[in-house]
Amino acid sequence: MDQKELYVTASLAQLELSDTEAEALSEAVEQMLEYFSRMKEIDVDHLEPTTHALLKANRVREDRVAESPLADLLLENAPETEDRFIVIPNVL
Amino acid sequence: MSTIAEIESLKRWKGILDDTPRRERYTSYVAEWEKRIGAFLEFSPERSEQSASPEESDDGSSTAKSGPLAAVPFAVKDNIAVAGYHLTCGSRMLEGMSSPYTATAVARLQAAGAVVVGKTNLDEFGMGSSTENSALKRTSNPWDTDRVPGGSSGGSAAAVAAGLVPFALGSDTGGSIRQPAAFCGVYGLKPTYGAVSRYGLVAYASSLEGIGVVSGDLEVANEVFSTMRGIDPLDHSSVEAEPSGASSPGGLTVGILSNLGELAPEIEGTYRAAIDGLGKLGMRVTEIELPTLEYVVPSYYTIAMAEASANLARFNGIRYGHRPEWAENPEELMRKARHEGFGPEVKLRILLGTYVLRSGFQDQFYVRAQKVRTAIREDFDRAFARVDTILMPVFPTNAFKHGAAGLTPFQQKLADKFTVTANLAGIPALSFPAGVDSGIPVGLQFLAPAFEEQRLFAAAGRYAELFPLQHPEGFSADWSS
Repeated sequence: MDQKELYVTASLAQLELSDTEAEALSEAVEQMLEYFSRMKEIDVDHLEPTTHALLKANRVREDRVAESPLADLLLENAPETEDRFIVIPNVL
Repeated sequence: MSTIAEIESLKRWKGILDDTPRRERYTSYVAEWEKRIGAFLEFSPERSEQSASPEESDDGSSTAKSGPLAAVPFAVKDNIAVAGYHLTCGSRMLEGMSSPYTATAVARLQAAGAVVVGKTNLDEFGMGSSTENSALKRTSNPWDTDRVPGGSSGGSAAAVAAGLVPFALGSDTGGSIRQPAAFCGVYGLKPTYGAVSRYGLVAYASSLEGIGVVSGDLEVANEVFSTMRGIDPLDHSSVEAEPSGASSPGGLTVGILSNLGELAPEIEGTYRAAIDGLGKLGMRVTEIELPTLEYVVPSYYTIAMAEASANLARFNGIRYGHRPEWAENPEELMRKARHEGFGPEVKLRILLGTYVLRSGFQDQFYVRAQKVRTAIREDFDRAFARVDTILMPVFPTNAFKHGAAGLTPFQQKLADKFTVTANLAGIPALSFPAGVDSGIPVGLQFLAPAFEEQRLFAAAGRYAELFPLQHPEGFSADWSS
């Protein structure tokens, strides 16, 4: 992966990279991608992909209202709140 | 359900926090060891005492006053939620955050009377094999503090090996329970995928991971597993165990691998000796083949990193976790939070995961990895048609040294081939202490078909007749008053 691709990928992942970081990471990324390409050696064309090893079907349940006491507790972990709203910098 | 009978090794632990002289001896023992090994990110039994309330148990029943786990302390890896405790995942991103709720696995143990005493160190978000990727603390191996405890559940394994708790919970995405257990000379169970609810486990690679247990006693590990397991309405991938009920402990047939690739001499030697030992115990030993074994590591990392890139998207500094001092707009806030909050290994995995999922690359990497996953599952299906359990190394070396004297991050990844197979196939595996070489433990693992955990306990129990558990110097388990 060249530097340009690395920065495009980082931007898709909402990651900011310093130049030194980009240099160190691009080497590690390259090493892993080269290693991933080893999978080309094995013939898997006839196989179906496995997404979950044991899950055979979706599990469904009745759609009903249940109480959860968690909402307020979860809001306590927000860095900044106003009433029950989470404060972020201006969008516009 | 759990048996009522007491477990011998747990008797001395019971009520250790309730009796002042015993508690003082215990906490000073923990403090002494902690200076050397740093297994805990947070050791604070008092938090459990403050928050202990009956409504926290999953079925609304009050906390058990009797039973084998009642009043027994345990530790929890810091990527598993316990109400009132921190939930840092070993990351600056979540440093200082407190969990508002408790994982189902922990709640079930609490309902059986067990008491959380603290949260253990780990590689950041479970990403690593040494616990050196923790952004918050360095953890060392109780057998030799120049060495790593393994990872990512390194804190849990070190705490158990040093005798700080009789058992600890970990999570295993690609070997993160079994490898540190092997490095520290204790037992480590990775259950069948879905057998234990993942509710309250901070997600890294959802299709591969699960909560399991580290202990120095097989009976304890089995009791903890039996207490935690079962379907959970809060985790849709949880399943009810369906063991076949087949096979008997005395007559187990064990599959072994002839082509193991490069192994350190102490691992190769222990593996060969264990095969001879199993024969002496009357087990039948048969060679099997796993032709896909050489391709499991690239398949595993492609899938794990792809899932990680999606799962870790939630950490953006908005709703909780690290928030930068200042940002002009929401996008900059997210980028800065992630830049400052994540360590290099986490960034590497997010980048790679994002890359393999980009349009145009999916067939080449992600879909191919999932097909390799099918191939290793089929390898296991063929093998388990002939054998009851498979004996494999856990890791190609024993506990390596801290820092540059150890293995590089890339070498550590290549070394995951024996552990990631069970995660790709969703099957259970148990690592067990198989020997001690030059003062450092060597672990091996048994693997079994889905839901056959009891077969693993039976096989490891037989092996313990040959090699009973050893302890590092300075270990004590005498908590009598």
